[in-house]
Amino acid sequence: MIRFVLRRLLGAIPLVMGVASIIFFLVNAAPGDPAALMISPGMDQAVMDQMRTNLGLDEPVHVRYVKWVGSMLTGDFGYSISHRRPVIDVIGDMLPNTLVLSLCALFVAFFFGIVLGTIQAVRQYSVLDSALSVVLLFFYSMPSFWLALMLILTLSLFARNVWEWPIWFPASGITGREYLDLGTLGRLGNRIRHLVLPTLSLSLVLTAGIARYMRGSMLEVIRQDFVRTAHAKGLPEHVVIFKHALRNALIPIITLVGLYIPVLFSGTVFIETIFAWPGMGRTLYDAIFQRDYPLIMAGSFFFAMIVVLANLIADVLYAVVDPRIRYD
Amino acid sequence: MKRILTLATVIGAGACGGDSEQLARAADPFCQAVWPAVDAYTAEVAAANPVPDDPRYGGTIIVGSIGEIADGMNSAVASDYTATQHQQFVNLMTLLDYDENAVPRPYLAKSWDIADDNTSITFHLRDDVRWHDGEQTDAHDVAFTYITVTNPETAFPNAAWWDHYVKGPEGVEVIDDFTVRIGLRPHAEFLDPFRVLAILPEHLLGDVPAADLKQHPYSTQCPVGNGPFVFVSHATQDRWTFAANPAFPSDLGGRPFIDRYVYRVIPEQTTLMTELLTEGIDVYIQPRADQADQIKEDPNFDLMQFTFRDYVFVAWNSRKPHLSDSRVRRALTMGTDRESIVEAILQGYGSVANGGVPPFHWAFDAELPVTVGYDPEAASALLEDAGWTDRDGDGIRENADGVRLEFSVKYNSGNQQRRDIAEIMQAQLQKIGVAVTPQVVEWATLLQQINTPELRDFDGVVMGWVVEFKLDDMDLFHSERIDQPFAWSGTQNSEIDALLEAMSETADREAAMEMWTRYQQVVMEEQPYTYFYFRDRLDGINKRIRGVEMDARGDWVNFREWYIDPSGR
Repeated sequence: MIRFVLRRLLGAIPLVMGVASIIFFLVNAAPGDPAALMISPGMDQAVMDQMRTNLGLDEPVHVRYVKWVGSMLTGDFGYSISHRRPVIDVIGDMLPNTLVLSLCALFVAFFFGIVLGTIQAVRQYSVLDSALSVVLLFFYSMPSFWLALMLILTLSLFARNVWEWPIWFPASGITGREYLDLGTLGRLGNRIRHLVLPTLSLSLVLTAGIARYMRGSMLEVIRQDFVRTAHAKGLPEHVVIFKHALRNALIPIITLVGLYIPVLFSGTVFIETIFAWPGMGRTLYDAIFQRDYPLIMAGSFFFAMIVVLANLIADVLYAVVDPRIRYD
Repeated sequence: MKRILTLATVIGAGACGGDSEQLARAADPFCQAVWPAVDAYTAEVAAANPVPDDPRYGGTIIVGSIGEIADGMNSAVASDYTATQHQQFVNLMTLLDYDENAVPRPYLAKSWDIADDNTSITFHLRDDVRWHDGEQTDAHDVAFTYITVTNPETAFPNAAWWDHYVKGPEGVEVIDDFTVRIGLRPHAEFLDPFRVLAILPEHLLGDVPAADLKQHPYSTQCPVGNGPFVFVSHATQDRWTFAANPAFPSDLGGRPFIDRYVYRVIPEQTTLMTELLTEGIDVYIQPRADQADQIKEDPNFDLMQFTFRDYVFVAWNSRKPHLSDSRVRRALTMGTDRESIVEAILQGYGSVANGGVPPFHWAFDAELPVTVGYDPEAASALLEDAGWTDRDGDGIRENADGVRLEFSVKYNSGNQQRRDIAEIMQAQLQKIGVAVTPQVVEWATLLQQINTPELRDFDGVVMGWVVEFKLDDMDLFHSERIDQPFAWSGTQNSEIDALLEAMSETADREAAMEMWTRYQQVVMEEQPYTYFYFRDRLDGINKRIRGVEMDARGDWVNFREWYIDPSGR
């Protein structure tokens, strides 16, 4: 197993480098450059040229590419043009926020997806099954930015100003105005309240998908002989479902973890913008419009790495839950 | 299996509740060196200046806006409006500011003398202003700032301001610690740059090479100002936090009323609106016109509305053969019903522009007859006159060589108002036989296409422009600058050249006014642009915030006098 992981990690290096290289040439081929965004009235040509030299834009693309690979291999990601800070600092600030948001969404999506899918399978063709199917299909077919706006409208604006609910959720940010005056527990609560809407917007669509997979997978498993045997030897329903059927039904779901992580990251671009969440997705998106080459490169490099790692983790988990799979 | 589920639960719950220090301060060595002095000084002055016993003191004001303060607090490299506002009115100080009638009044400079021949200004500075790390603000800081912004290596964004000043070290003389003299050639509105240019601390930035200022951590990570608010922290893309400066001079208002000021970045306008209505923020900078009505009708909020200094227009590239004839450009304007477009787009929050002089400015001539109002018949006549007739009956005019009268009008993606302008023009100009194709281009690409002289082959482009109180269209229309980035229209008109030169050198307003009237008239005949509108600047404000004034000087003009109604705190 360890050898498998090492082999995969080694194999990931050319993969990530390849992705990063393609992005490098793509962003450099895009028209416009960061210096063009800084021009202002009355600036001399000499000053503009100097600015391009300072930003390293006066060299041909292939020279810049070699330099970029060289510095990246030594762990130097350069200086962000739009943030005026080392790229690694920007990522250090933003990536944790994105990870918190996407891990929460991943957790919520899988937890509810698995629970709802199981309920649907066990109560197949019941009213509950059909009702859940309709509700899940409703969320599945909804664009997530629209869902996000509707959640803001209902759970934030209407909940507070119209319906006057005791609990409503803030529409943006990581913490609220009162954050600094709160104790540790209060601060934690404040953060969780701020997480609710973005997490829901990001996870509801996924929940619906996972529940469909789970329902199918569970239905397949509960028709198998060993489940019938478990029933026949008089085990109670919940033991049969949770102890025997669930473990087996979960195997195909594990692969979804690897598949859904890239989906989550692309989702964060919209969600972080709508909820003013200072994360990596939004930062990267803005960086593209600012032609902040060093930040675009480093950001996509980190995303590529996380996606590769997530797939690796999914493969490893696969082996953990299914004794038939061995990688050696 | 159970173990995995438990593990997943722990990771999930841990991540969801994870607590990272939000007010983390920048780890940069420059910043690390700055913080202890700022902390020590602010603690010392807070102890020495207890908060006055007045219910107006206290509380936090949160301002929400769609954009970052991108250029931060470094006035030598900042070009965006929000950054300049914060430098002028929040974190730093300018030598002088304007009252509500745009008359200069003392600020960091307590007075100034102008040499009889208008070749120098001597500023006498206050001696009671300290940087937030305790150092005295003095004439050396002013000299340093002036030398820095006039140094071409700094790439000061508004370099044209200094065209009539003696640039560099020769232009500034420190007479004593609180007296400084700046040399200039006589010209119009020569005090205006000192209203905008905030003075920077020499003791912190004096050693930084000019070319490195743009990337220096001072701008966005640890600015040390001398203004009414002390910088506390900045979380990129999220928020800036400032605290009241207890040592701010008492005859300038003393310590501001509020304790803290937070500027939040919220990129989505629906979210901003919700935050305003749910009291997550107190001020919503620039709501959309359709949101403005909702704010106005709500009893808990006020809508601030003031005429601003920016206008939106379509620039016609007269380098193109079709567009080189001013009759064609006039016809394009007259074939467009700008009144109704402005009404539809701004819903009443703005006014039609016929030139680049804002309606509230002294140089604006309200009496000047508008010769390019909506008149499709006159527009058609102009086109006929210029040799453009529909010769093949397809509804589009051709010239004698059979070339169709067709243009593309570019606009930047993501800007609804500019898209509306391009699309409505297309529909309206179709009626007078002109084919217009709106073309959307991403912002950075568009800037490259219109600002790079050798790539400039666009026909028309929808753009916006912000002017200062000191008006200067040199970069836009002077024929000597035709190869400069902002000569979009490629105008070559000797009368415009002469007027621009004369106006920029005439210090007397009455004498200049005549020229301005003539200039506005010539621009209307030349029509380098189809001017659309001056937009009103709008702000949504929670009514518990009191003492707010806003006008063309800016949204933050009297920010240090804002306070929170004690009953609403």
